[in-house]
Amino acid sequence: MGPLDGLRALEIGDGGEVTGKLLADAGVDMIRVEPPSGARSRQTGPFVGDIPDINTSLHYHYLNTSKRGITLNLDEPRAQELWRNLVNGVDLVIDSTGPDHLDQRKSGYQACSDHQELVWCSITPFGRTGPFRDWKVTDIVSMALGGPPMSSGYDDHELPPIRSDGEHSFAIAGVYAASAILAALWQRGSEGVGQLIDLSMHECISATTEGAFANWEYLQSIVQRQTGRHASVDLSAPTQHQCADGRYVLLLGGGIPRSRASWEPLLEWMDEHDAADDLHDPKYIDVIYTDPRSHAQERDHVADTVARFARKLTSEEVYRRGQSMRLPWGIVRRPEENLDDPHWSDRNFFVDGNVHGHEGVVRYPRAPYRFTSSPVGMRSRAPLLGEHNTEIFSELGLQSDELTELAITGVL
Amino acid sequence: MSGYAEHGQLPLDGVRVCDFTWIVAGPQATRILADLGAEVVKVENESHLDSMRLGLQQDPSNPSINGSGFHSNFNRNKKGISANVHHPDGRKAVERLIAQSDVVIENFSAGALSRMGFDYERLKELRPNIIYVSMSGFGHEGRDSSYVTWGPTAQAVSGVTYMSGLPDQPPAGWGFSYLDHTAGYYGALATLIALHHRRRTGQGQHIDMSQVETGMVLGGVPILDYQINQREFKRIGNRSLRPSLAPHGMYRCAPVGTDDDRWIAIACEKETQWRAICGVLGIEHLMNDSRFSTNTERVEHQDELDTIIATQTREHDQRKLMYALQAVNVPAGAAQNMADKMEKDPQLRDRGFYQTAPHTELGVHRFEGFPAHFSQARWRLDRGAPTYGEDTVTVLRDMLGFSEAEIKRMQSELAV
Repeated sequence: MGPLDGLRALEIGDGGEVTGKLLADAGVDMIRVEPPSGARSRQTGPFVGDIPDINTSLHYHYLNTSKRGITLNLDEPRAQELWRNLVNGVDLVIDSTGPDHLDQRKSGYQACSDHQELVWCSITPFGRTGPFRDWKVTDIVSMALGGPPMSSGYDDHELPPIRSDGEHSFAIAGVYAASAILAALWQRGSEGVGQLIDLSMHECISATTEGAFANWEYLQSIVQRQTGRHASVDLSAPTQHQCADGRYVLLLGGGIPRSRASWEPLLEWMDEHDAADDLHDPKYIDVIYTDPRSHAQERDHVADTVARFARKLTSEEVYRRGQSMRLPWGIVRRPEENLDDPHWSDRNFFVDGNVHGHEGVVRYPRAPYRFTSSPVGMRSRAPLLGEHNTEIFSELGLQSDELTELAITGVL
Repeated sequence: MSGYAEHGQLPLDGVRVCDFTWIVAGPQATRILADLGAEVVKVENESHLDSMRLGLQQDPSNPSINGSGFHSNFNRNKKGISANVHHPDGRKAVERLIAQSDVVIENFSAGALSRMGFDYERLKELRPNIIYVSMSGFGHEGRDSSYVTWGPTAQAVSGVTYMSGLPDQPPAGWGFSYLDHTAGYYGALATLIALHHRRRTGQGQHIDMSQVETGMVLGGVPILDYQINQREFKRIGNRSLRPSLAPHGMYRCAPVGTDDDRWIAIACEKETQWRAICGVLGIEHLMNDSRFSTNTERVEHQDELDTIIATQTREHDQRKLMYALQAVNVPAGAAQNMADKMEKDPQLRDRGFYQTAPHTELGVHRFEGFPAHFSQARWRLDRGAPTYGEDTVTVLRDMLGFSEAEIKRMQSELAV
């Protein structure tokens, strides 16, 4: 039993797939509504075997797990009527078609307002109001305006601010939207009323830049991007180093331990490689306890010596042995490298599934939380285009000859 | 503000959270719950003080545990009590709080809350249908559960760091603890899912979160691609590989005063947008240049194209260029820093995103808002973070039923 079993939902538009997936994986019966030509993410690769096909996008597969899928051409009045009938039977709608798109097709929140308990979440780039409401965005534009790139990049500011790969604007807004929806449904459970949620992706991203906010609001300071570490008002010591195997590790805080319990084993480890230099000198023990802004010279020396040591080892050794002495060090992995780490098998993080057009089992990341009594995770692979048309429109009482006709006339 | 009536109702009114969180990830989770109306009671003790209380200080020359604007932003709307769980009476106060809470949430290293005497079994004794959310780096289950992480550690291991940066440079990563935000967002969501489950079934449960997992889900597509197409992930900088688009990138603009670090993001998804970009940048002659006549051609000659575009944008003011491009329906946006967002962004201003609230010692300041408006509810911004122990007396007296005399004695014994 999923924790959200019993809830029914519709998802329409190209910007709400993360929200739909999160809720569907938790048990919501989520119906993904696409135009007959298919959602944008179906056109977005990679594809199975790198051969573009409407049903084999890995991008679509990942973002649409556990959903059922139907098609509707909402430019057609008959489709609008079917949509409104569908809305009448669900608890919530995730709408990322834009501020006006559905209203112009008699299919928006107002057109469905007879359904008093409906929760309707509008996910738009800027919100449904304001001077930018109709502006055009893609992921890089949303991220630039929201702020993360100006904190991310390289020491060398001849190089641009960096927008990470991975469509994070949708990921960030998608989780916020899911929480806002569940909060509104919680209120509905108490009061019996639904409502419209107007979520702005720009605001979601703008709230996702950590210390940059307080630096400006409290000190009128602007943080500057640096290579592989926190943006900062004053330049800080490097934390990302390339090891002997060519791969990178993160030595948090310049690799300087924060407790004696880590400091002593670290020195022993360095001694094994004759790399402790003069760090046994008692004056260095102080740096682990002190404010990072004091003892600058000693701190720099410890950081340099530890980094020089780490660069001579392999990345995996630095990561594992560092962690064994409770140093918060990390190895910089490619995303797929975690498939082989047995820790994630212990946690059943990767779950078996399949992808249309590919033979054999494919391991998907499950939801990013382990529920111990009501499982959350993939229930089914993403739908093929229109895969559930018959099933779902039959539930509305349509006969098969009607369905055929609607498909021929371009309604479905 | 945006035409939304200020409805009095808070969506999570009546939900109570016993909050042991610290640093950023946990407080981010409970910030969302508190913004939406949950009564969040932070339990703190000086013996393991939240180091973010000593983080960014309003007055760096006079640091104080109540002086951090950073801490206030992440802990607004919460109540704060100090309690020493190693003192029998301090423990009694915390136990009463747990017994009256719907949710217990923490982001200590795995096992730390258990060592404080509050494992899940004990929590259930105190409140049988409790929802217990633990947010550690690697989760409570699994062979590496003792590993310690901060946001950047989790970013490195999960793949999130690797995915960000130029192909011929080291990973750029994220210049802040992105996964502290992310883990917090998922932590709030998991809590809400569990509350719904409990409302329907009566059952509580333990939710075992791992911050690294909250990063790994952001790399789902490369994980599938590797298994199906045997393709290793490669960084693409600011370009767009899927879909393959050009021009697409971050282009340098003219300096603003002495600030020569101004950039604009431009994306081109359609031929009409390409022609519009040429018009705005005064490079109409490129429309007839065979190297750039289709998206496929432009992608093929992307290095040359980016050089030409950057030469043009360098002459333009970042914001004026953004408005000019948007006026002709081209996706374009200034790479905004925090001052830009807070002082120059008419959209955030119109939506009322930055609101003010008082903090007992820091005074009145702006805070980041909750990023949605509700037609039949509101989010709140009542006050900044509690000063250390600010609400100890009122919570112990009004919520937990201790008498004034008992509280005085507990204070004198440093139990609270």
